[in-house]
Formats: sequence, C-alpha cells, structure tokens
Amino acid sequence: MNEQGNFSVTVRVWRQAGPEEPGKMVSYPVRDVSPDMSFLEMLDILNDNLLKTGEQPITFESDCREGICGSCGLVVNGDVHGPDEHSTVCQLHMRRFKNGDVITVEPWRVKTFPVLKDLAVDRSALDRLIAAGGFISTDTGAAQDANSVAVEKDDAEEAMDAAACIGCGACVVACPNGAAMLFTGAKVSHLALLPQGGPQRTQRALGMVAAMDREGFGNCSNEYECEAVCPKDVKAANIARLNREFLLANLTAKR
Amino acid sequence: MDITFIKRFAFTSIGRKVIMAVSGLLLGGFMLVHLAENLLLFKGEALYNAWVDFLISNPVTPFLEIALAVIFVTHIITGVWVRIEDFINAPGGYEVRKWQGGRTIGSATMLYTAAAILAYLAYHLLTFRFVDHSMGFYQMVTSAFRMPVFVAVYVAGSVALALHLSHGMQSAFQTLGLNHPKYTPPIKILGLLTAAAMTGFALISVYYLLGIDLKTAQSGCEMVVIQ
Repeated sequence: MNEQGNFSVTVRVWRQAGPEEPGKMVSYPVRDVSPDMSFLEMLDILNDNLLKTGEQPITFESDCREGICGSCGLVVNGDVHGPDEHSTVCQLHMRRFKNGDVITVEPWRVKTFPVLKDLAVDRSALDRLIAAGGFISTDTGAAQDANSVAVEKDDAEEAMDAAACIGCGACVVACPNGAAMLFTGAKVSHLALLPQGGPQRTQRALGMVAAMDREGFGNCSNEYECEAVCPKDVKAANIARLNREFLLANLTAKR
Repeated sequence: MDITFIKRFAFTSIGRKVIMAVSGLLLGGFMLVHLAENLLLFKGEALYNAWVDFLISNPVTPFLEIALAVIFVTHIITGVWVRIEDFINAPGGYEVRKWQGGRTIGSATMLYTAAAILAYLAYHLLTFRFVDHSMGFYQMVTSAFRMPVFVAVYVAGSVALALHLSHGMQSAFQTLGLNHPKYTPPIKILGLLTAAAMTGFALISVYYLLGIDLKTAQSGCEMVVIQ
C-alpha cells in the first residue's frame, strides 16, 4: 500500500471533438490527487477543473464503477484497462501512481470501435454480434420448475465463467489483429454449455461468426493477449469451443 | 450437389484458419519424417542412397510430391489471406502501447519466419531437387554441407522453422478446437519439442561442415590399426 499523501500528476489525454474531427494528445496538470481515488475519479476532478476554466470536459464512458458493467475502457500508459491484471479501468486506483507521473490516456483504437468523442468509442459492433445469435428464444408465460432442467455442475461452473464476460471490448483492443474471438467465444460457450442454448446452437455459431467477419473484426492468431487483459479472466479455451462449435455447425447445419 | 457449405467454410475467418491449421500440421508432420530421413546420412553412403532410390523409384512418389506442393501452397494462400485481413483490422495509432504477456517471439514473427522458410525452401529445391543427381545423393548432400555459405542458409532457415513451429503447432490445435486442461499442456510441450527438432536440420549440416564424420572415420581406422 502506498502511504503517500495527496500528489500531482500530468494527464496526457486524447482530445477529439467528434467522429470525423482530427484528434490530438493534450496535457493537463491535476493537483491534489488522493492515492485513494479511483482513476476515473481523478478524471472527474480534471473535468471539474476544465469546466471551471470554460473548457469542454473530457468525454469518457463509465457506469457502475465497480467492475461489472463493461462501460469503461481506456488504454492507460499503453495498458488496456490499465496496469492491473484482470481489472477494469474503474478499478484502477491512483495509489498505483506517484507524484510527478505523466499518465498517457488513450481511447480503444481499433477500426471496429470508431472514436465518437475524446475517449468514448462506438462499441455497437459487439451488440450486432449478439443480435446475430448470442441469445436464446423461449416461450413466454409462467417459468417452468427450475428442477426440471438438469445442468451438470461442472458445465454450470464453466458456463458461468464464460457468462462473466461484461462485453467491454478489451479483448478486441488487446488482440494484435483486432479479433473479437474471445467475446464471441464467451457468448457461444455460455449458451452451448447450457440446455437452454441447445435448440439454436447451430445457427448461433454460424450467425455469430458471419457477423464477426461482416463487422470487420480480425482473425485470431492464438496469441492470447485477449486472455491476459480480460477483466473477467475469460479463458482462451472458450475460443477453442467457438472453433469446435463452428466446425460442428458447418458439418451438421441443415442448410 | 450443394457446395454452399464448402464456400461458407472457406470464406469465413475460422474456416480459413482451420484450413491453415490442418495444412500446417501436415507440413509439420512431413518435416519430422524428413528429419528422420536426413538422420540416415549417419548410417553411411550405401544405406542413404538405397533409401533415396527406394523413394524415387516408387510410382506413388510423384503424386505425393504434388500433394505436398498443394498442401504447401494452401498453407501459404490461407496464411497470406489471414495476414492481409489482420493487417487491415489491427488496432493501431497508439502513442504508448504494451503487450500484456500473451505474445511470444515465435507468435509475433510468424510472417517473417514464414518468408524466411519460403526462401529456405526455394534454396533447398534449387540446390538439391532440380539439379543433376549423377554424383549420387549422399555425395551431393555431404559435399554441399561442407560449404559454409550453404550451411549458413541451413542454420538460418532451420532457426526460422523452429520459431515458426514454436507458435504454429499449439496454435493449430487451438484453431481445431482442441483445448482441454488434460491435453493442452502436453500438446504445448510436444509442439515446442517438434519446433526444437527443426534445429536438427542445421545440426546435421554443421556436423559435416566441421568434418566430424571424417574425424570419426579416421579415429575408427586408428582403432582398427591398434587392434
């Protein structure tokens, strides 16, 4: 634990007025930073300062600020989601920095997530992947008795590990090729492991892979940078399952 | 016949990668067999030449050669295709960017080692395959291995091959969907061992460059004299 008192840092941040505008890195000093602050709270303070001087505040996304919603996502000093392992950037604290540090903050930079403004990017490509098969169809009405659908314990655990994906897009950004295989692998896996995912299994694998290609995500080169940055520690074994599901779907699809 | 599923397969990112993985594994297997054949050099001229004669006099061999060429070209086409797409899609433009530990020297240099292997293969075919074989295969190979330039190309090519396989072998199994706590660790170890074995091609050429075979033959003679 860092026992230092309040300190000052310089934040070098990407400023871009709109999707089509050119952007540039701008440096701002931030004083009186508490080591107990989160990284995003430090940006809040910087934005307060900018508002006081009449400058546009820095746009960045966040929602829950407890690492479970997948809204935040920044590249801090070259690290996707910051220097902490398996953590979202909202869980990064200023105690990881020291007085006088220059902190470089950049948005996700990949063609599939175009910059909207400053640090906010458009991640709707991931929503379109979900719409292409990352769901189950079920009858409405009263829910059936939970005990009538048996799920093997290990499968339930594995499905839960895959379902932990919060869709932040860090895997795409960390990938040397900008592939969305870990995200898609997680979604396909968590449904493939559960009986509810069974009926649409084939269309899901074919549809989501086709959507990945349509959106312009890259190819997986099995380097596992995605696994290394995933805030939810989703494993690359899910990518292997996606590959299996896709192979099987190709062999067994009726059409 | 409905061939949509074949088109669908070859024109998707995963399908293309599966084709690259299967062709890569076949090529890796071929390289191991090739290395085993090269080891026959140590068994002497008569046995080595007899084995090569057996291979080239077999009527199936020309077909196997064509199949090997097709596998090789398939691997190159799918590989280049994948890399071009990745080049277009790759994230970029960061002021500061760090890799987080997944990448290895082997995985980050796949394209460069691939180019080096292609050059190595071209050199190999031009010097051994498409030449006059009248001096005998054993003589042709061992005399080439006594030339430093030739051996330098072999050492460089073999190291490139080893690096390429150090990532390629485990990657191929992952692409085929084979990842499991039970067998992934041994697959990774066997992949690395296969990659390490590729330096065998270099070691054999260095063995002849240093004339170790001649020295052994000499000392063998001395032993006969002493007896």
